[in-house]
Amino acid sequence: MTEFGVETRADGVGVVTPEGRLNMVSARRLREVLVGLVERGTSRIVVDLGETTFVDSSGLGALIGGLKTARQAGGDLRVARVSPAVLSVFELTNLDRILRPRPSVDGAFDD
Amino acid sequence: MTSGARTEAVERHRQRAVESLQLLDDPQTERFDRLTRMARTMFGVPLSTITVLDGDRAWFPGSAGLDVTEAPRNETFCDRTTAEDQLILVEDATQDERFKDLPAVRAGAIRFYAGQPLHDPAGHVIGTFCLYDSRPRTLEGDLLVAFLDLACWAQQELTASSEMRQAGQVQASMLPAHPIRAHGWEIAGACVPALAVGGDFYDHGLAGDVAHLSLADVMGKGTGAALVGAGVRAALRATDDEVAGGADLGATTTRVARSLISDLERATSFVTLFRAVLDLRDGTVRYVDAGSGLCLLVEPDGTTRRLSSRDRPFGILDDDSWTEHTATMAPGARLLVLSDGVLDLLDDPLTWWEPLAELVRAARDTTDLLAALARLSRDGVPLDDVTAVAVFRGTEGGR
Repeated sequence: MTEFGVETRADGVGVVTPEGRLNMVSARRLREVLVGLVERGTSRIVVDLGETTFVDSSGLGALIGGLKTARQAGGDLRVARVSPAVLSVFELTNLDRILRPRPSVDGAFDD
Repeated sequence: MTSGARTEAVERHRQRAVESLQLLDDPQTERFDRLTRMARTMFGVPLSTITVLDGDRAWFPGSAGLDVTEAPRNETFCDRTTAEDQLILVEDATQDERFKDLPAVRAGAIRFYAGQPLHDPAGHVIGTFCLYDSRPRTLEGDLLVAFLDLACWAQQELTASSEMRQAGQVQASMLPAHPIRAHGWEIAGACVPALAVGGDFYDHGLAGDVAHLSLADVMGKGTGAALVGAGVRAALRATDDEVAGGADLGATTTRVARSLISDLERATSFVTLFRAVLDLRDGTVRYVDAGSGLCLLVEPDGTTRRLSSRDRPFGILDDDSWTEHTATMAPGARLLVLSDGVLDLLDDPLTWWEPLAELVRAARDTTDLLAALARLSRDGVPLDDVTAVAVFRGTEGGR
């Protein structure tokens, strides 16, 4: 079972950290977490993928869905600490340009 | 048991509903047995069944503590539960006028009975979920709630599994029935869904000297993904003739993607696609890649290149567009298009093309290659659908 760390930093950025495999089962939960954050007014979100070992198409769907929801609310969703295996999935699907990996969680909203 | 309580019309509808489950000759009852085993342990009873009435017989798709798989309908408690269409709790059947003459009660085998009717989505009673004990007892409070929860689960197993299986059959029937063999070329595909239905599909066709193929992967799994996939397939098929006739694949794909985007957004889904048009006379390949990224071209000398692009899947951004690319398949060249389920089967997904190119080179023909991929997915128990389309151009006779 994938666990999700969720916190909101002092600067208002929400940080979500899924652990383990982001597949059909855990993607649904991630989607709920992301939508919940935006609904509570946190529309700038970093998904820290440093603890994520695997992402399938459902996981990508949850990230893209979260990105759209955040942007509609005037914010953005960024991904940080992406492993080579997960990055290869972003690259295969050509989603690496809209889910552009950031090296660190802290600096993910610096640009 | 009197049959007067149930009208003929209700019985006819019920029987038809049972038959439409297509369970009656299904030997795979483990998923039902599991539920009854759980019930036996949870409630401390010697016997639990999932019972389906079929004509004059009561049949047990799942049971724990019972040696037989069916019984005469009029000798069961479940006949009554089905007819009354409500929970029946019998604390001591020897004291109950409705049941005291049943053979199992007379024999002293059953005194306690709890039966909850199970319904199909149209509301027909299709079965019952039952507990039995040889001693009198009650079922109340939290245990009664747990029993009703478990019955609900049994109902889902009975109905969902049949819908999934039927959807799977429809989906399989929508795949091309035969490979293409023309002008020294072979084009063949295979789809191994992880569940009964999946979000992958492939298609191919031949119009004169021009062949076209597509392989799409809908995000997610199960019936929802299959429904989205059927819509995408129909939208693509509507453009087969124009792309075979020479229309730009990029422009056509962009139009198809834009027609689908509102559906995909509502379903919070996206679709990756590889689509190609092959000129069988000169080997020209025109293709579009929408975030699929899993296409390998193996040249006659064995060198490998990937056919990919920088275009995104369908359903990501409203103003995305797609571009046509070209490649050439010389006589002896081979092409393999895959869905991403295959990545799960490989030791190192980062270098996925290496073992797959090896399989392509080693295969005698497309049938052989697809069989090798099927073996891979059978051994690897994929979490996701595995779909592949292979194109082999013969070394001679390729015109």
